[in-house]
Amino acid sequence: MSDILEQVSTAIIEGDLDEIVDLTEDALDEELGAEEILNKGLMAGMDHVGVEFKAGNMFVPEVLRSARAMQMSMEILNPLLAESGVQMLGKVLLGTVKGDLHDIGKNLVAMMCEGAGFVVKDLGKDIAPEGFLEAVKEHDPDVLGMSALLTTTMRSMESTIKALEEAGVRDKVKVMIGGAPVTQAFADQIGADGYASNAASAADLAKQLVS
Amino acid sequence: MRTNYRMNSGVRFQMLSDDQLEEMFWGVLHLLEHTGLDVKHEEARDILEKAGAWVDGERVRIPSYLVKESLRMAPRSFTLYARDGNPKHDIRIGPGRAHFGPGPTCPNFIDVETLDRRPYVRSDVPIVARVVDALPDIDFCESLGTVSDVHHDLGALYEFASMFPNTSKPIVAWSYDQHDSAGIHQIAVAEAGGQRAFEQRPNYVHYCEPLSPLVSTFEALEKLIFAAKHRIPLIFTPCPIAGGTGPVTAAGIVTQGAAESWMGLCVAQALQPGLPFFMGGVYSVMDMNAMILAYGAPELPLFMAGITELAHYAGLPLWQTGGCTDSKCFDGQAVIEGSMSVFFSALSGGDLCHDVGYTESAMTGSVFQLCAMDEAIGYARRITRGIDVNDDTLAVNVIHDVGPNGHYLKEKHTRRHFKSEFWYPNLLDRQDFESWEMTGGLTLKDRTVARVRDILATHSPSPIKPETEKVIEKVLAQAEERVKEK
Repeated sequence: MSDILEQVSTAIIEGDLDEIVDLTEDALDEELGAEEILNKGLMAGMDHVGVEFKAGNMFVPEVLRSARAMQMSMEILNPLLAESGVQMLGKVLLGTVKGDLHDIGKNLVAMMCEGAGFVVKDLGKDIAPEGFLEAVKEHDPDVLGMSALLTTTMRSMESTIKALEEAGVRDKVKVMIGGAPVTQAFADQIGADGYASNAASAADLAKQLVS
Repeated sequence: MRTNYRMNSGVRFQMLSDDQLEEMFWGVLHLLEHTGLDVKHEEARDILEKAGAWVDGERVRIPSYLVKESLRMAPRSFTLYARDGNPKHDIRIGPGRAHFGPGPTCPNFIDVETLDRRPYVRSDVPIVARVVDALPDIDFCESLGTVSDVHHDLGALYEFASMFPNTSKPIVAWSYDQHDSAGIHQIAVAEAGGQRAFEQRPNYVHYCEPLSPLVSTFEALEKLIFAAKHRIPLIFTPCPIAGGTGPVTAAGIVTQGAAESWMGLCVAQALQPGLPFFMGGVYSVMDMNAMILAYGAPELPLFMAGITELAHYAGLPLWQTGGCTDSKCFDGQAVIEGSMSVFFSALSGGDLCHDVGYTESAMTGSVFQLCAMDEAIGYARRITRGIDVNDDTLAVNVIHDVGPNGHYLKEKHTRRHFKSEFWYPNLLDRQDFESWEMTGGLTLKDRTVARVRDILATHSPSPIKPETEKVIEKVLAQAEERVKEK
């Protein structure tokens, strides 16, 4: 691998926000393609971060820093990738369901998905089924992720899926759900495409759903 | 600038008041002056008599001024050094510092491969020493067993000779007699670079044990005299059993035990003023049904907190006890008893806490109990480290900036502090159920066994000098020669 890609990858692993923009531009100056920088620099770095995180050697604040570095690089690469027609990993739409104001878990999922290479649109919290439906129509995401902490609010996930079905857009988007009271059985029962028990596996699940 | 502002750097714990400690202190002095102890060593009696003690046959009574003079001479703060100069393995003895390590002389050992209980053998020593060397919250080394497969007079010497190359953490060495002590000292001095260099940077501590009630045995004093003459930091540690070899009451057993230690202190300070000296040791109850010295009884950490406070009141460091259990296996009992005494020991701040890794009431050493207790010690140390209060940790500005509905995951403040503010477990599992199940659904025991085996497969301690290796060979050969006819 070229030195510059190695440096980009290291800057991602170290979450080096001071250097990542310059390094991305240096790589482009060296006539490397945006796609190559993405795959062999950014994603190589994030893959390493993922492995270290699962092994307990890296921690959430560090992963988020790496994800932020990746985003800064992507801001430069995105227009070039679009020009050359490269398919991005995909878009993830996220929100905490109606009646639920607990969103730290959903925020973690957002950051982990960004780190995995997704474009993430975070709708925030207290999102009603109609809110999710409109956002799906507007943003055309590959994955819709819903989160709930309360047993009283998780039922709203089912209503959202029904709303998507009634509007005829259910088959355009994969639905994944999570949150403390949510289980795989509940996901199966309401017809979601997947369930993840924590933020890191949510990002893995999103990758599976779009592949 | 702050003024009239008091800070507590950690959790405060005190059981006895100054009035109570003073009463106990004078109780000990009274015992030494009026009852005295049997001192079964002629040279020791001569040393004490010359210093001002009253000798009547074997019975020695010590006037209180002499005890106080000896206490004054002994240091409260000093350093035990890593043999390889690694400052992370040094132990700084002083107020507010608790250190932990295994104990010696269990007859049995839990085999690291089969997990069966069997007699302790020579090849177990490097295993214990290497695990000690690797565990972050274990500070000093003992072997967790008595070597059974060498000549019965040479167990202690072989033990030290096998421990020393396998950890650079300071070692606490016991011995059968002064021949052992001399061999051990030769090895340690060779590595230190001579007697003078050893005195400046002692790399081991000599352990000896008087007999309760109120006897200074010949062997204990012979070893004490050897250690004092060679300026080897010394532990003089009785093991009174409440209701058996000591009074049934907590205050009584502490008072008797202190008197037993301070007899040794007076001999040591008369021979070698300023010799680092730890009083001890193991204070617990005789279970009146099972008839054992209970290593898992709540009275053990309670008595130990009492003797710790008395030692510190008198200005001496203490040889503490904790992390041990009466359980026969790695189970809930072992972890409850071990963790509770470790935490209590960390709170009371006894200077060297030993017997971490004892199971079955000191009959069986377990490197798995040791490894689990390393985790409990890390846990306890995070608590005793306490809460830092300053502008930065108060974080009023950070809270303001994040505001209602925000989150702290991306804050610089979080990144700067999350590693030092939080303790991260090595063995305790915090995964969600699905992840735990996916990673094999392992129990604490499974993870502990895996960690010990991983350490043994990967950890290599720093080596000793080649010349020390030669000294070890020579010392062992001479010892074998000495016992050949026995």
